[in-house]
Amino acid sequence: MTLATSANSVDPLLQDIIGPTPGQQLRRRFFGHRGLMIGASVLGLLLVIAVLAPVVAPHDPYAQDLMARMKPPVFLGGTWENILGTDHLGRDYLSRLIYGARVSLLIGFVAALISGTIGTAMGVAAGYFGGRVDMVVTFLINVRLAMPVVLVALAVVAILGGSLQVVIGVLGLLLWDRFAVVMRASTLQVRGREYVAAAQAIGASTPRILLSEIMPNIMNNLIVVITLEMAHAILLEATLSFLGLGVQPPTPSWGLMVSEGKNMMLFEPWLVLIPGTVLFVVVLAINLMGDGLRDVTAPENRS
Amino acid sequence: MVYTKLKSAVAVLSICAAGAAYADKSDDTLSVAFTKELENVDSYFNSSREGVVLQRAVWDGLVYRDPVTNEYKGNLATAWEWIDDVTLEFKLREGVTFHNGEVFNADDVVFTVNFVADAENGVKTQRNVSWMKSAEKIDDYTVRISLKAPFPAAIEFLSGPVSMYPNEYYAEVGPKGMGLKPIGTGPYKVAEVIPGQRFVLEKNTSYHDSPKGQPSIGRIEIRTIPDINTQIAELFNGTLDMIWQTPADQAEKLAEMEQFTVTNESTMRIGYLSLDAAGRTGEDNPFTKLKVRQAVAHAINREALVAALLKGKSQVISTACFPSQFGCDQDVKSYEYDPEKAKMLLAEAGYEDGFTTEFYAYRNRDYAEAISSYLNAVGIKTDFKMMKYSALRELRTAKGTPVSFQTWGSYSINDTSAITSQFFKFGALDDARDPELRDWLDVADSSTNPETRKEFYSKALNKIADNAYWVPMFSYNTNYVYGNDVSYTPTPDEVLRFTTMTWN
Amino acid sequence: MLNFILKRLGLALLVALTVSFISFILLFLSGDPAIALAGEGATDEDVLAIRKLYGFDRPMLMQYASWLLSALSGDFGESYYFKLPVSSLIADRLSVTMLLGLCGISFALLTAVPLGVIAAIRPNSIIDRIALFLSVAGQAMPSFWFGLILIVAFSIKLRWLPPSGTDSWRNFIMPTVVLGYYAMPAIMRLTRAGMLDVLSSDYIRTARAKGASEMRVMFKHALRNAIIPVVSLAAVQMGFMLGGSIVVESIFALHGAGYLAWESISRNDLPTVQALILIFSMFYITFTFLADVLNAWLDPRMRSS
Repeated sequence: MTLATSANSVDPLLQDIIGPTPGQQLRRRFFGHRGLMIGASVLGLLLVIAVLAPVVAPHDPYAQDLMARMKPPVFLGGTWENILGTDHLGRDYLSRLIYGARVSLLIGFVAALISGTIGTAMGVAAGYFGGRVDMVVTFLINVRLAMPVVLVALAVVAILGGSLQVVIGVLGLLLWDRFAVVMRASTLQVRGREYVAAAQAIGASTPRILLSEIMPNIMNNLIVVITLEMAHAILLEATLSFLGLGVQPPTPSWGLMVSEGKNMMLFEPWLVLIPGTVLFVVVLAINLMGDGLRDVTAPENRS
Repeated sequence: MVYTKLKSAVAVLSICAAGAAYADKSDDTLSVAFTKELENVDSYFNSSREGVVLQRAVWDGLVYRDPVTNEYKGNLATAWEWIDDVTLEFKLREGVTFHNGEVFNADDVVFTVNFVADAENGVKTQRNVSWMKSAEKIDDYTVRISLKAPFPAAIEFLSGPVSMYPNEYYAEVGPKGMGLKPIGTGPYKVAEVIPGQRFVLEKNTSYHDSPKGQPSIGRIEIRTIPDINTQIAELFNGTLDMIWQTPADQAEKLAEMEQFTVTNESTMRIGYLSLDAAGRTGEDNPFTKLKVRQAVAHAINREALVAALLKGKSQVISTACFPSQFGCDQDVKSYEYDPEKAKMLLAEAGYEDGFTTEFYAYRNRDYAEAISSYLNAVGIKTDFKMMKYSALRELRTAKGTPVSFQTWGSYSINDTSAITSQFFKFGALDDARDPELRDWLDVADSSTNPETRKEFYSKALNKIADNAYWVPMFSYNTNYVYGNDVSYTPTPDEVLRFTTMTWN
Repeated sequence: MLNFILKRLGLALLVALTVSFISFILLFLSGDPAIALAGEGATDEDVLAIRKLYGFDRPMLMQYASWLLSALSGDFGESYYFKLPVSSLIADRLSVTMLLGLCGISFALLTAVPLGVIAAIRPNSIIDRIALFLSVAGQAMPSFWFGLILIVAFSIKLRWLPPSGTDSWRNFIMPTVVLGYYAMPAIMRLTRAGMLDVLSSDYIRTARAKGASEMRVMFKHALRNAIIPVVSLAAVQMGFMLGGSIVVESIFALHGAGYLAWESISRNDLPTVQALILIFSMFYITFTFLADVLNAWLDPRMRSS
């Protein structure tokens, strides 16, 4: 691999513009894309940790010990008993981080699923039917974009009370705009293709055309947006929790951990640095994966 | 070369930093932080601690209670006497003027009392004023205040939230004008108000001979800084001289640093769990069973909560009031920390495997979380719900909650009527609904005989403890942190008194 | 052109109206404001008196209509908390938020455009790679966390910058960086892509063939063409940014509109929250409208779409 191609693989954007060597196989592109591989590995690892949380976590993430509060991590003079120290109620920080992965992934995934369903339905309908439907959908997208996300989400969570379900619901109902925009554009592109016209000619029903002709051909774009919106949802949940209006304690959420650690930030900065770094790395990994997926699955879209 | 450039850049930056306006001893200005935005400086139209702090600096009451000895002393009044159960007569101090030059006399007292006692005028905390019916002028320096009913705590209220306003000015500008340009008789004049953000006070050089003492520091600059980290950072940088209500952990760290003084005082606020004994959330609600409520009381390690989280002068309490309050009998049943016993009691009540309940809280998320964790440990699984105060109150008013972590500060009123009677007389927030308690408290609240009052409060408090309607847990405390050039002795009522602060 | 502007304007107004209705419903459902108004420590009588005083029992549509009518004339009612007109309360703080937004977008443009240009001129160079890394990392960095780290570094450890307040321009440095960095990746990507596009066009080849200096080619010909979409993106980003200032303002204790919004939510100060949601939306709507007009003016083809 030459220096130039390796740089290309690291960076999704470059791929956007320069494009891959013609004739490359999808699988080769997939495995040859460094950003995608890094992102996928981190996410995969995280998924394994989240699933196996009860096995990998050294302690019960909920077990409090008020006499052992805010013990430093082992690299700051702590003990191996609590590798990453303990929080303000004496709970093991590492175990909470591990269980926090479950919360973040769950929120990211389900919120993206909900918003994906809404946004795709709207986008595909707008793109396929055009006319009035398109006008209404475009209008709704405009309305949605005009509403300040954080402010509206905060207000809704404040009204309904914070809980995992509420946060997932609110994010799911707010983050459909990008799905709608991208799915609308993709459907517009696909609508004119011969196979759609052929299906219409043989009298296939509209749902059938949408499901078996349109959807499979815009799936790659959908997957990319799902990935990016998952990262978006995880970040927003952390922001809401940080502002005190996200998931409720004692649920270990990374945003909540930053928020709880924030109070002692000046004296014990690691309380903030550890969960913040994990959050950053995970979101970065998901974004890398999303950008990578865009590169490897949609070569024909490149200039 | 690059290095020298960098160094000079750093030097320039640090000069900039040093040039920032340091308010301190050298220009006789003390900078203090408020955590919450104060809605209106007019003390009758806010209900926050910050409002009380300004009220005590800008205005005076007829009476003053010495925060250390609890002795009542004349302030704007020089003498007073009960004419009968519902009439108080005051001799007023002569030669006092308001900050705008208006002379203080009986007209001001009559106007203020008649204005605030009228519910139509919408004073925010009605309880502070609703016991007064009206005031009448006897002569220029004598007034009588009539009560709606016998009210033993009248002098306590007159020494606290009821302060005297200038009649001509207030009639002209009203609460809004008063909030933007406050005028009082107090030790400090208000020089600047930016609503919610910034208040500047200046020493009242012609302050009368008040038991509050004469102000010493020339200017007080108050800024609202909601974030505790920012407050501490400004304290480090010297742009703040004093912060208060500092959480225990941070205060502990600051106390270790040489350049700061940290003092701690208890407050009248107590924390407790309110349990749904009346079954408002459902007839079969576990908390209707005495043994379950007692199990809750035994499940919580209150000593550990105080030692690890609250620290300072907080104390473990077993009575449903603050120990210093009149009538707050301390000799009641106490439940020691004993998780095994708690589990046993639960089993006896028919919950061998525990149960799941909603657990509500509105402040001190960490305390609430620690408490719910203790409940989880004995098998009471909690569905933790942190809400805004107003939302939780609305829920409790409408449907009740099975268990909620509550706190009450009694408006710093040193009388059991300010807490126990608020919650056990079938009000919307009464989770016990015990008619016997209500009747006893009625007697205690309205009797003018102190012994009768004590007796009935004691009966009520004992019943509350025996039945574990509440699980009283701890009293709160407040930390005050300031630079070593400031000298201040805090008082146990959580009122920051600028008048008693001096430079070292 | 006029036709296009009128159409867009009509759409913008319709969007604004819908947003106002949604925000009204949202907060209408938020429960009894009387309890929040009465404050902590209020007795039941206090709450009852306040509910009567404000008359929260009117039908919803009536409340919305009367609110909208007065909102159109700039009267957003009285803040439940401060008892002052919401409009004056917000006007005070909006200047802080707008200043912050302007600083933020300027910072984003001043850093992202040069980075994008250099990245396009020298693809695959170190600068290109740094720029690209920043653009990916920037999107992943939680802004609340970034803000906290800056405070620890520059206010506590180095003591160069004040951690909060609005007293001098130095107070705005960190908030500007935190707010601005979020818009950087998009602007940089677009600048870079636009430059690459223009640089490979016949037009630039012609300019080069005519013997124009490289600098002249880059700035006079290439950047001028590439910058058009960037400007309209910046306008849209500015709209987003003002909505996002809520986090930044709460971290740096800037008494701006975003901070007011956060506080008002927790105080149940309905009129203020409603007004703020509407105003933040209006910012976005105005900026996208301006961007549309700008685009149409510069590129007549877009007018027909």
